[in-house]
Amino acid sequence: MLASVRSANVLGTTGRVVTVEVHVGDGLPGFTIVGLPDVVCREARDRVRAAMLSSGLTWPNRRVTVNLAPAGFRKTGAGLDLPLAVGILVAGGVVDADRVAGLCFIGELGLDGSVRRVAGAAPMVAALAEHWPELVPVVPVENVVEAMAVKHDRVEVVSTLTELVTVLVEGAPWPDPPARACVPSPERAVDLADVRGQPVARRALEIAAAGHHHLLLAGPPGAGKTMLAQRLGGLLPPLDARAAVEVTMVHSAAGLALPAAGLVSEPPWRAPHHTASLIAMVGGGSDSLRPGEVSMSHGGVLFLDELGEFPPQVIDALRQPLEEGLIRVSRARASATMPARVLLVGATNPCPCGGGRPGECSCSETARARYLRRLSGPLLDRFDLRVWVGRPSTEHLLGESAGESTAVVRERVLAARDRAAQRGHGPNSTLSSSMLDDVAPLSTEAREILRTELERGRLSGRGLHRVRRVALTIADLRGSPLIATADLVLALQMRIDLNTAARGAA
Amino acid sequence: MSAAAPDDPGRDAYLAALCALPGMTTARRRLLLARHPARQALGVACGDGADPIFTEHLRAHSRDRVEPRDWFARWRAHLAMHPVEESQDSLTACAASVLVRGDIGYPASLDDDPDAPPVLFVRGDPSVLNGRRAGVVGTRSATSAGLRWATDVGRGLAEADVRVVSGLARGVDAAAHRGALAVSGSGSGPPVAVVASGPDVVYPRENAALWSQVVERGVLVSEHPPGTEPTSHAFPQRNRILAALSEVVVVVESRVSGGSLITVRHAIERDIGVLAVPGSVASRASEGTNRLLRDGVAGVALDATDVLVALGLDSRRAEGRRFDPRPRPAPGDQTLIDLIGGDAVSIDELVLRTGGEVVDIAVRLGRLERDGWVLRSGGWFVVQPDPEAMHGVNR
Repeated sequence: MLASVRSANVLGTTGRVVTVEVHVGDGLPGFTIVGLPDVVCREARDRVRAAMLSSGLTWPNRRVTVNLAPAGFRKTGAGLDLPLAVGILVAGGVVDADRVAGLCFIGELGLDGSVRRVAGAAPMVAALAEHWPELVPVVPVENVVEAMAVKHDRVEVVSTLTELVTVLVEGAPWPDPPARACVPSPERAVDLADVRGQPVARRALEIAAAGHHHLLLAGPPGAGKTMLAQRLGGLLPPLDARAAVEVTMVHSAAGLALPAAGLVSEPPWRAPHHTASLIAMVGGGSDSLRPGEVSMSHGGVLFLDELGEFPPQVIDALRQPLEEGLIRVSRARASATMPARVLLVGATNPCPCGGGRPGECSCSETARARYLRRLSGPLLDRFDLRVWVGRPSTEHLLGESAGESTAVVRERVLAARDRAAQRGHGPNSTLSSSMLDDVAPLSTEAREILRTELERGRLSGRGLHRVRRVALTIADLRGSPLIATADLVLALQMRIDLNTAARGAA
Repeated sequence: MSAAAPDDPGRDAYLAALCALPGMTTARRRLLLARHPARQALGVACGDGADPIFTEHLRAHSRDRVEPRDWFARWRAHLAMHPVEESQDSLTACAASVLVRGDIGYPASLDDDPDAPPVLFVRGDPSVLNGRRAGVVGTRSATSAGLRWATDVGRGLAEADVRVVSGLARGVDAAAHRGALAVSGSGSGPPVAVVASGPDVVYPRENAALWSQVVERGVLVSEHPPGTEPTSHAFPQRNRILAALSEVVVVVESRVSGGSLITVRHAIERDIGVLAVPGSVASRASEGTNRLLRDGVAGVALDATDVLVALGLDSRRAEGRRFDPRPRPAPGDQTLIDLIGGDAVSIDELVLRTGGEVVDIAVRLGRLERDGWVLRSGGWFVVQPDPEAMHGVNR
């Protein structure tokens, strides 16, 4: 007897539809699974068998052949457990084939017959909805939020295999999905008002958020670099509809917890440790090509603390996604393109000892040179904003006056982003140099200042355009259509040279 | 080579070969060369022709109890590996001359030095040592202000025809010589370098260009024959020659322990005046110099003029009045200069202290920087003193 059940699989951050074909026929009792399953998938036999027996169902004591079609790509993960069980029930004659014709299934089975959460439900359901829009997905209870987020009309849930059999065989109604926890989006835990002092760094955060400029915070330990970086997420606008779906797909594929509302609407904030491997950073690693940190922070902030401690090849691998906003992970057997449009925030000490005011550093010349060499060159060039974060003095730490709150600054950021949108381009950091001349012409005085900087060798050709983009953002924040000299000067001051910051030397 | 004794052809090569022997310390060289001409001295070191006094000296002063005959064997083996011709070749290759105490051209200030080097390897013109000389030394990891001061004082001294004596190390040493080399024409003081490696072994590599400029325009002196790699104990040894060749030693920036302070000790032992540049009490780079000043060991040097005064070359009144060519800062900008004072200050601190806007402070600092009142390095600002006063003399 033959059965075929619709399901899906995930590669990178995109789903692919899979048809699970089950043949139960005569011959020596046995079980064969073909169609390029990975190890987890191959182990489905034991999980499904135990789950069926625990649920009081009989395992067909005949020859069972399973094919995962199309056979050409590798199927990964345990999400095919549930369709496999359904296929066996249909092929074994327990369930009527007509009952499952309008359904498709995703889910992992426990040995007790429970149906468990799978990673990547959102991209899988999205692929099913696109391919077979008429089918109703049946997903584990824990996946219903993400499934509903991409398939709006109808999604059914099951929590155990027994429950499913009751529905399919006895015609019982589908169980209700769990009541949507209707929690309002949680009060933002961190606020810019908590930051004492640090006027320059606060300003830099505002500019970074408004123009999507990558930001490097340099300063001694304990100056508050991490604290500042954590507050950047709150300044960014909420994700728009398209970005929200993209981010939800990535987070679902990575198996991250999703918010109660289903779609991820707040920009993510990720801070991988500097021991993170190359694969963890850019993605890949298994046959399903899991998204890496740079994709998981798509649409939000990727914070790299102790930037100089990251292995150089990890840092180098970030250069291409930073330029293109997406990452291509290619392996011999498969390749995936995943979104990776991030706002990069780096934090670093100026030298191994942590440094501080010029002359306070106790490192040897060679140690300092070695430390900075890891940061130097192409990577530092990617940061439009490089600011010094000093240790705040005691009177500012204990002072009464709090700075502006996140809400106040965010107003200005949103207004500045609107100005850029009205001009008809993306964030300012993405402006091409030819467009810069159109939207941000330079005054004579500004031209003069830039020339001096170029002649002093403090600005490179590439740096010149970056400074102009930052100056444009500063003007946007002021609500001015023209770049004033002051905007340009501020942009220049927010571009310190790390080599000299370390020892405060020439 | 001018000083090579005509009755001893190839003397220089024998001296270079002798000095290249491993473990041939200054004291041993001195003893051997006081008692023998160069060629015989090399022979004695290799064990041909016994010199009981040298043998006894070896026995008495061998730290690790190496027997004299083992020394002779060791040196003979070394000479077999590196014959005298090789020394001659390396001398010729870098055009180094050799000066022995007593030669014409051997620096007069070393003549009666208690720890004078018996042999000097010299590149460039040794006669430049006959002028007024001021040593400028300091830490290798100097701050921007320190480097700037060293360059300016180097230039100021060279303009007054004073030879800047320094060690060609990173940081202050190199900066002082760069300043001195920036002055050209007659009446500019040529540079004098005292190095711890062979005169042809550039260390650190990054100073290669500076090294050759010093050879070209001034003189480079070493106790070690060509081809000698620098060793850590060669640096403090070198500092005694540096001190002895200076008439006054200026310490620009020094940590609480460092080579500059060894130079200072050697200078004090020789009754040579020491000046130190005061720095911020918060700066580690000025800790050593500030202590010298507190202890009363060193006089205060604020600019090149102070060094010239110490040399008895005060020319401040010789020409017209000095004036500061920089445009006067606006009143509001002057408050910033006052706030920065003698420290390195970040914009953050200025914003918090004045209660002003970040943009406003940034604009003012930009203006002050353009007019030459403040210097920006990294995220820090320091006040830049009067540029003319720094040079000490008018141009």
